Amino acid sequence: MTLLLALIPILPLFGGLVNACFGSRLPRPLSALIACGAVLGSFLATLGCWPGAAGEGLKTTLFTWLQSGSFSAEVGLLFDPLAAIMALMVTGVASLIHLYAAGYMEDDSDQARFFALLNLFVFAMLTIVLADNLLLMFLGWEGVGFCSYGLIGFWYRKTENAVAGRKAFIVTRIGDLFFTVGLLWLFARFGTIGIEAINSRAAELDPTTLTLISLLLLGGACGKSAQLPLMSWLPDAMAGPTPVSALIHAATMVTAGVYLLCRMFPLVSLSPLAMGVIACVGVLTAFYAATCALAQREIKRVLAYSTMSQVGYMFLAVGLDSVSAAMFHLLTHAFFKALLFMGAGCLIQLAGHENDIFQMGGMRRRSQTVFWLFLAGLLCLAGAPLTGGFFSKDLILATAFAKGDPFHLGIYGLGVLTAGITSLYSFRLAYLLFAGDFRGEELPHELPKLMIWPLPLLALLGLSGGLLNLPHLFGGRSWLSGWLERENDLLQIPLQSEYLLLGVAAAVFLLGWLVAHFRYRRFAERETEVCKQFFLTGWQCDAFFDRLLIRPFRKLCYFCWQGGDLGLIDGLVEGFARACLQWGHAIRFLADGRISRYLQGFAWGLLLIVGWFLLQAVR
Amino acid sequence: MTAETSITFPWLSLLLWLPLLGTLLCLLWRKSAAACRYLALGTTLLVLLVSVGLAVSLETGAGGWLLFEDYRWIDAYGIRYTLGMDGISLLLILLTAFLQVIAVLISWDMRKHPALFFALVLVLETGIIGVFLALDLVLFYLFWELMLIPMFFLIGVWGHERRVYAAVKFFLFTLSGSLLLLLAIISLYLLHGEQTGVYTFALAALKQTELNFTQEMIFYLCFMAAFVVKVPLFPFHTWLPDAHTEAPAAGSVDLAGLLLKTGVYGMIRFAFPLFPLAAEKSLPVLAALALIGLFYAAWIAYLQFDIKRIVAYSSVSHLGFVILGLAAWNQTAWEGSVLLMISHGVTTGALFVMIAMIRQRTATREVDKLGGLWQSQPNLSAFFLLFCFASLGLPGLANFAGEILILIGVFSSQPLWGAIAVGGILFAAAYMLRLLQEVIWGPCCEPFDKSDLCRREWLILIPLALLVIWLGCYPQPALDVMRAPIQLLLQGGMP
Repeated sequence: MTLLLALIPILPLFGGLVNACFGSRLPRPLSALIACGAVLGSFLATLGCWPGAAGEGLKTTLFTWLQSGSFSAEVGLLFDPLAAIMALMVTGVASLIHLYAAGYMEDDSDQARFFALLNLFVFAMLTIVLADNLLLMFLGWEGVGFCSYGLIGFWYRKTENAVAGRKAFIVTRIGDLFFTVGLLWLFARFGTIGIEAINSRAAELDPTTLTLISLLLLGGACGKSAQLPLMSWLPDAMAGPTPVSALIHAATMVTAGVYLLCRMFPLVSLSPLAMGVIACVGVLTAFYAATCALAQREIKRVLAYSTMSQVGYMFLAVGLDSVSAAMFHLLTHAFFKALLFMGAGCLIQLAGHENDIFQMGGMRRRSQTVFWLFLAGLLCLAGAPLTGGFFSKDLILATAFAKGDPFHLGIYGLGVLTAGITSLYSFRLAYLLFAGDFRGEELPHELPKLMIWPLPLLALLGLSGGLLNLPHLFGGRSWLSGWLERENDLLQIPLQSEYLLLGVAAAVFLLGWLVAHFRYRRFAERETEVCKQFFLTGWQCDAFFDRLLIRPFRKLCYFCWQGGDLGLIDGLVEGFARACLQWGHAIRFLADGRISRYLQGFAWGLLLIVGWFLLQAVR
Repeated sequence: MTAETSITFPWLSLLLWLPLLGTLLCLLWRKSAAACRYLALGTTLLVLLVSVGLAVSLETGAGGWLLFEDYRWIDAYGIRYTLGMDGISLLLILLTAFLQVIAVLISWDMRKHPALFFALVLVLETGIIGVFLALDLVLFYLFWELMLIPMFFLIGVWGHERRVYAAVKFFLFTLSGSLLLLLAIISLYLLHGEQTGVYTFALAALKQTELNFTQEMIFYLCFMAAFVVKVPLFPFHTWLPDAHTEAPAAGSVDLAGLLLKTGVYGMIRFAFPLFPLAAEKSLPVLAALALIGLFYAAWIAYLQFDIKRIVAYSSVSHLGFVILGLAAWNQTAWEGSVLLMISHGVTTGALFVMIAMIRQRTATREVDKLGGLWQSQPNLSAFFLLFCFASLGLPGLANFAGEILILIGVFSSQPLWGAIAVGGILFAAAYMLRLLQEVIWGPCCEPFDKSDLCRREWLILIPLALLVIWLGCYPQPALDVMRAPIQLLLQGGMP
């Protein structure tokens, strides 16, 4: 079974390499086929390994990557319940998205590059999921960053796309710095970077170090998961092809931060302060992104901000001490958000490559199928009762409520408010897309069949996602909590409160719907300008960072270059050279070739020497 | 362990003098450019073959000299012909031999005085290998200066627009460092002779010289002056961007890949073991300069318009990492430093090779005039992408392994230095991605030569790419070779 386990990441790696090296020489369908086959094989391998995951899990070490002194990093895989469920989700969703991409990229001339990067991404993501030590995880961590960079800027001819890719890489790398320092510090303290070893010995650390390391890991997680304050790259990342947005910037990579925190949970959870900060970051990002989503005009940007917001909920869940709630929401979100993005891809195609929702409208008439599928996704996102999103979000909010203290009640309040906004923007999107008549001029493009097929499956998974962790109230057994061995995540609150919380959740959903219904049922472009601009630009964050960081940084660089290198150092060097030259010029008259001057010099010199000897003799 | 090994076949001398033999043959057949090309290629390949053969056949795990040669040379002054190769020199010689083949291949179409050009490249190889092998200080100094002369002419004759300025700057910077080195060598020789009555330039003997702290510090600083300029450490680096920018492709490859390493090698082979107390005292200063250089050069690289200058400044930044590792003074950091030296040689060499190919097609190195190369040259651009990401430290590619070992080593002894140095990784990403952005992405700049890689170029790039991936994914063989020698050096012992 260990061989099967190794196959999980190796198959996509192999597929990616084949496409990267020979892709342009392969016949077109073959390159898509290899990519899809590799990921599907990896999914089957994950299924095959599944029975081994329970309890201690499967382990295998392939080879030693780096070993020096007491430091040693193996390429070792760990397949425990947490990794197993994540790997299953990643390979499953990735398989569907690969199929979709085969349809989506049918006419693109650079198909091989696309599939190579997409397969390599799956490999890197699986490395994060399955790594048994932090350095290998970091390899995957940076690997997904690279693939994300390459895929956001996939259509590189437009400079904005390439710039968006660069921004994504650099902003996430700021987070990676924190991760790296955390990794170095953990090694310095424990003498190992094995995840299990660190987790089991976490209690040995003193509280301050523990808190600081946890916060460093949080910093890494924030970068990858687009949480405050490292969030500004995600909306721009929508420049990439839609399957990329679905796979990388919705279902998998952006949840890597949550996964990291869950993976290191025994360590992180020991620090109450860090947990509080995680919860705050989560809920604030959730709120921030939801408000931004309210004002967006591009369909994919709405979804991007909603992703950020939902990932915020997951962070909140981690901060509330509930790994199973975080993973529950991660899974349901992966299903419905992948569905939404792929649906959006279909809609953009149907609208003739129009992605401004103000120019769309009446899309229902262009395809009933896509309408119902997209609506299913939106219902999950908005938290319509009994959908997957409803249960997972409710579990998080109820956990916050169950803590009972003012801090957590405040978080609960903000979380509920955000849920209301989520419902509002979801239905705003629905009405702007589907109500009324089409407002643009473009004619629909044909939709390849492959782009529809994966959607119903995801819709089914999204709608019924609640079954994964159905609470006792609905006759479920909370399977996920049991699988993750996190039984104490289960709610310990009276039945009435539980009903009350469900009621509140349903009420905010309805409220959001109603507001959207009256506001957006008929299209009218009447939004308050200031507010719109503020939310549209994500609270002006880009301008803020530009002024606060980028411009001073460029000034600093310029100063070092012109002032330091050319001015000071080269100035000194060349000044010295010039001084030599001038000195040479100054004494050149001594050797100007006139005999009289030479004789004069000779006479003076002789006088000096003779005088010196005379002086000596007199003494 | 000297006598018995020196009886066997003089492999080291073979390695050392083969290129010079090639030079002579090149000059004999100087009428025919083709003959010179093949002669140069043949010679460099032969050197590579011999060094790889040695690496494979020797017991590389051991700590002592793997090979050692010691002959009388100038008895009157106690100068001997002493060569020795341990794991570190072996790795650096492998790098040298490999990069020289690349340097010859990349200059295949050299039109201007081809015979002289290849002859100089081969002399350079002898000089560099000599530096990595010599254990007698006079011999070492001889090779040290021997590197300087061919490089001076390579830049000054075959360089680009401002070549004379760059060549003179390079020459004066390095020479002023080396003169101090010479002064220190002679004084040390005299001092040792007065103390013991034995006048010798042998490294092992001079190590035993008894020095008071002031003397030791002065000698150390003189030695370091030569090495620090060569590395180059901030603030002695300003010759490098000019030299790189103006040098021909092969010159840039040799400069970045090899010449800079001789400075680091000089420190770990000569300056540190000869003057351990002074070295210990200087470590914080060294680390501070390395850290400043690491950031400072990265920042400057971010604003450059000439792609060669970007890569040149990135070299300064990476070498800052290497020196920081040395300053941490522990096994892991040193292994990281040596590994990063090798990786940096390969990646930066590859980048300069690629810049030459890009220049051949677009006739420019200005970022403003470049862009969208992927459109017409996807294969070339893909390699460029790979090497840029290797250079910015993507895990799984060459530089990362060295950098992370350095960081781990530094962090374990000086957490603050380590934590600051991590920031350098961010700025490496900043300038490298800008470089990529300006060269391969964006709207197309319409290169006049739209051809993608030709067969010779594939032949150059594939080994480089494989090496970059190998060093990143499985650097263990290299680490095993350098382990024991580094242990010995750190303990202050000599093999």
